[in-house]
Amino acid sequence: MARIKLEHISMRFGDFYAVRDINLDINNGEYVTILGPSGCGKTTLIKIISGIWTPTEGKVFVDGMDVTNVPLEDRDVGYVFQNICLFPHLTLKDNVAYSPRVKDQGEEAMGSLSTEYLSLVNMLSRAGMFPKEISGGEQQKVAIARALASGSKMLMLDEPLSALDARVRVELRYELRRLVKKLGITVVHITHDQEEAMSVSDRIVLMRYGSIAEVGTPLELYRHPKSVFAANFVGETNLLECTVSERTKSGKTRVKLRGGQEVRASKTAFNVGDPVVISVRPEHVYTANDGLRAEVRSVVFMGTYWRVRTIADSRDFVDFNVPADEEVPKEGDVVYLVFNKKAVVVFARPQGGIEEEIKLE
Amino acid sequence: MPEIVLDQLCKSFDGHVAADSLSLRIADGEYVCILGPTGAGKTTCMRMVCGLTRPDSGRVYLDGRDVTDDSVDSRNATMLSQTYALFPHLNVYDNVMFAPRIKGWPEDNSRQIVRSMLHMVHLEQKADWKPDELSGGQQQRIALARALASGSKVLLLDEPLRALDARLRINLRKELRSLAKEMRLTCIHVTHDQDEALEMADKIAVIRKGRIIQFGTPRDVFENPATPFVANFVGRSNTLVGKVVSSGDETVVEMPSGARISARGSDLQAGSDAVVTVKTGFTKLVRASDDQVQGAFLEGTVERVLYEGVTITVEVRVDGIGLISAGLPNRKYDDYSAGDRVGISWIPSKASVFRMPPEGLEEEMRLD
Amino acid sequence: MSLLKRIDELSGSSKVRKAWFSFACAIFLVVIVIPSIFVVTNLVTDWDLVSMVAQDEAIRSTIIGAVANSFSIALIVTVIDILVGLPMAWIMVRKDFSGKKWLDTLLDMPLAFPTAVLGISVVMFWVAPEGVNIPGLGLNLSPYMLLVLLHILFTYPYMVRSLSAILEQIDPNYETAAMTLGASRWTAVRTITIPLFRAGLATGFILCFARSLSETGGTYIALSMMDVKSSFFTGPSFISWLKDTEPGGGALMYSSDEMMGAQILISVVMIVLALILLIVVRRLIARFHFPMDKVWPELGRKVSRGALPKAKDFVTIAFLIVVVLLPAFYIFMYLAEPASDIDYGGLLGSIGISFLVAGVAVVVDILIGIPMAMYIARHKGQKLGQLLDSVVNVPLIIPTTALGVSLALFWGSLGLDSTFALLLVILGHISFTYPLVVRNLVGAIEEVDPAYEEVAMTLGAKPFQAFRKVLFPIVKSAVIAGGILAFTRSLGETGATLAISPTMNTVPVYITNLVNQHAYSEAAMCSIVLILICFVIIFGLRMITNRRSRRNA
Repeated sequence: MARIKLEHISMRFGDFYAVRDINLDINNGEYVTILGPSGCGKTTLIKIISGIWTPTEGKVFVDGMDVTNVPLEDRDVGYVFQNICLFPHLTLKDNVAYSPRVKDQGEEAMGSLSTEYLSLVNMLSRAGMFPKEISGGEQQKVAIARALASGSKMLMLDEPLSALDARVRVELRYELRRLVKKLGITVVHITHDQEEAMSVSDRIVLMRYGSIAEVGTPLELYRHPKSVFAANFVGETNLLECTVSERTKSGKTRVKLRGGQEVRASKTAFNVGDPVVISVRPEHVYTANDGLRAEVRSVVFMGTYWRVRTIADSRDFVDFNVPADEEVPKEGDVVYLVFNKKAVVVFARPQGGIEEEIKLE
Repeated sequence: MPEIVLDQLCKSFDGHVAADSLSLRIADGEYVCILGPTGAGKTTCMRMVCGLTRPDSGRVYLDGRDVTDDSVDSRNATMLSQTYALFPHLNVYDNVMFAPRIKGWPEDNSRQIVRSMLHMVHLEQKADWKPDELSGGQQQRIALARALASGSKVLLLDEPLRALDARLRINLRKELRSLAKEMRLTCIHVTHDQDEALEMADKIAVIRKGRIIQFGTPRDVFENPATPFVANFVGRSNTLVGKVVSSGDETVVEMPSGARISARGSDLQAGSDAVVTVKTGFTKLVRASDDQVQGAFLEGTVERVLYEGVTITVEVRVDGIGLISAGLPNRKYDDYSAGDRVGISWIPSKASVFRMPPEGLEEEMRLD
Repeated sequence: MSLLKRIDELSGSSKVRKAWFSFACAIFLVVIVIPSIFVVTNLVTDWDLVSMVAQDEAIRSTIIGAVANSFSIALIVTVIDILVGLPMAWIMVRKDFSGKKWLDTLLDMPLAFPTAVLGISVVMFWVAPEGVNIPGLGLNLSPYMLLVLLHILFTYPYMVRSLSAILEQIDPNYETAAMTLGASRWTAVRTITIPLFRAGLATGFILCFARSLSETGGTYIALSMMDVKSSFFTGPSFISWLKDTEPGGGALMYSSDEMMGAQILISVVMIVLALILLIVVRRLIARFHFPMDKVWPELGRKVSRGALPKAKDFVTIAFLIVVVLLPAFYIFMYLAEPASDIDYGGLLGSIGISFLVAGVAVVVDILIGIPMAMYIARHKGQKLGQLLDSVVNVPLIIPTTALGVSLALFWGSLGLDSTFALLLVILGHISFTYPLVVRNLVGAIEEVDPAYEEVAMTLGAKPFQAFRKVLFPIVKSAVIAGGILAFTRSLGETGATLAISPTMNTVPVYITNLVNQHAYSEAAMCSIVLILICFVIIFGLRMITNRRSRRNA
């Protein structure tokens, strides 16, 4: 079984640090996602964990053993590529049997392992086909089977779903998690898609600018983000600039929005007068008879709910959700908004401004 | 003002049918998403509108005029390509200036147009940058500005957001649509992403195997799917197969396990095979301890609960049927855990019911 | 301006576009393909001459021997090229090291040398024959061995180039994937990357084989310097020898009828064999199944690590230096000698002719090559596109001497005789440089996303506008690169020129004549002057294109 530990990992290209001083523990059998925008260093990190690259500083431990300098082919990690990379000149069966073959485990092992893992991903009936004869989603399933057939206890998934159609992506991510949980292996999955990260992971590592921004379970990151960036990146949210107007001894905080409207928030340690930002997710905004006055800009059907976009008197854009079968306001209507105070998260106002803090590229 | 009419278009490439008597009428100023899996013929459909692909048969009308035999440059239908195709040897300004120069507009006038387009996409300060110095999102905006500067009122968008990060994609959806609306363009937007289509489109055309299988508003396509495939493609659905017991105002279907489920009214014959689809988002759970479990259609054991942000997904194993997923609001996360016995129900009018497709359910539901 | 506008307008009509493409095809067929293989028809029309020669025991066995030499040398050279070229391609594509740019330029240099010059240089380096006062290694090599060494020199860069081009297209992730599955690098390369090479191997093989098969100038000079030009033959050198009027030349030994018959016979034999070979190699390599049933994990591991990979790289670089670069540059040793008298008038005259021929050929190549290349690149999936793609290569695999003979016969039969020598030589040079330009362009255009042109057209550009404002600026550097390649190839060509007109004094012919008169020192100095002029042109053009592409970057 595989526990992975990263100690002070840095990777430098000239003067540029792709990742810098990363420390991370991944437990046996855990499904960890490394999430972040393009260029945040997530690909570098997974390549270091799997041994494709050697870090310029720091150490990688697997089950307590220092493997930093163990060559790739002896690392025993399964790796699944974004562009799938099934060997085009081999049949699906031969692709899956490649690892037992190069390890010289004999014809019998090759036959039984390829059968076992192809049937695990429901592709046994196509064993004799070549990669280009099957669809993208099917190819990626075979690629996963190929990685698993190496008998490895660690699986690295390098944006495994991003080359696929959106709908296939959704279907495959549930299947993926079901599969690896059944086998009990340790998974490191990298992606820029927060929805994907939320539905597959035990734990999400949010990265930015080559460093770890935040680590937590999907629930922790969504409900209690520790930064404005995390609040915005993991799920959609409304961000409103305000100042702390009142704070009780127990920490209960009230903030004043730009228009003067006061809003209750969760407990904080800020002082009265501090410039802050509050984050409140669209599903925690409701209409009421009184509250923040806002004008409806657009109403968009999102399937199971309507997304209503408004511009509030505080000059903030505030979005909220209305269930599909309930009555929904029309464009131009004036509504009064209240927030679920437990879901109002307060952050110190970023020095470079909110725009800069939530920038995605 | 431009209205786009596709009339009985057929096109095949080496025996592969990309368009099979495809007809579509897009009103002036409408934003239409053509939604379908890879290889369904979405791009071919779009290319036939701007003339890059010639149909084997059928006619294309722009603005009431038959343009089937017209050349690409004379159609005034501009394409925004998936890769943006910003000309690498020209800077941002000259890229946007391309159409005005080609069309030989007066220089002063053109310059003004280019400036205002760059202003609109908030990139006027990048005018002398080269395309490869820009980020993906900026490239996308410049490609849009270039398309808009051509003055054409028909904009064809070929998976315009595909190359971007997921989070950025969501932000740009709003931006793209509001720009198109502001400029009063008629848009055809090709995508495989149903969330994108739901959020951006006035109308969605679901395409498969070269045929439009449903054309309607997002709500229509989501709530009244025309086929089991559409039901599952636009928003995940639970799919159940059984025999019709009775139909009419409400259709009752008996599962192989003997359980009876209800769906909206239909004229299916009693005794015939039927497919019932319920969106995961409309699938409700009741705790076995609650009284309401009596009213539930099915009963099962919770296998896992996933926290996915706005919603949670609860996967329930039902004996003899398999996994049923329910998408519930995130506040219900603490209500369920693996091993719980739960009842599954839904409002019958939210469940669609279809005749069993002749080529079999598996073929019908294939996503790619 | 108004002319361009007019063309823009015309290009809007699909009829005009079709007509233009048909015109380019027609020119290609009439000026390039048909003349190249016209000699085959002479087998019928001049049967009496041919059969007379074929019945002559001595000539027949000489021809058979010459053809056998040509093909076996070409085969050996190509196999060596592949074996040493593969690791070199790896170094060029997959490794990153300082000085890589230098290596890249050095590798191309032999291509800029006229082969006649290479012939002199190689013989000086390995054999040090009589009459040459520069010390060489003085090995007692057989003419056969020496030709192998010489042919490696100018085929090796082609092989490395075509292998690198393919390797660049093979996603390195395949190898990484294999290694994460437990394969050592050696096993990964052997079972995954090499099998994916198939198409590239076929192209490289044919390119090098054909180049070796058709080489005349350097070969004939080398044989002449070793004093075996009338006793040891390759196919092309036999034709040159037949036309050689110097002492020991074949022109003094045979009647004109015999010469004509022998020329036709050997040309037809070489053309037919080369075409058969082209088809057979394509088929064989496509069918060849790389063995991967057996793996040797331990062995693979040993070979992949430690000293062995380093040794392999060392041997590869050493091969490049000792077998390719040193012999090629050895002629510069003459710079240390006291300068000999050069007939600058004669040299400059011949340089003028060479540049005129090469320049006109390249311009024509580009003009009629572009529509062809665009069609092939954009219609690879269709029958006509694939057919043209193969047919374009025909002049490339036909030995240029045979091609020259064929061309002279074709145009001669239409009444263009030796008074039109310059025109005929230019037409000949167009034939064998055209494929180089088109191949380069096809490669470049294929890499350009068709969306560029398509978007331009939806923005209101006529097809020709889309071409000149979008596609052409993007592929311009490839056009220039192809042009340089064709230019140097034309500049260095001896065989075709001689076969078409023995009196046309291009630079390689001029140098060959000097060597035949044993004026080695003067020949060497002329070579050095020529090389320097070539370098100035190549680097000048490279700098212009580089600056452009850097500005575009």
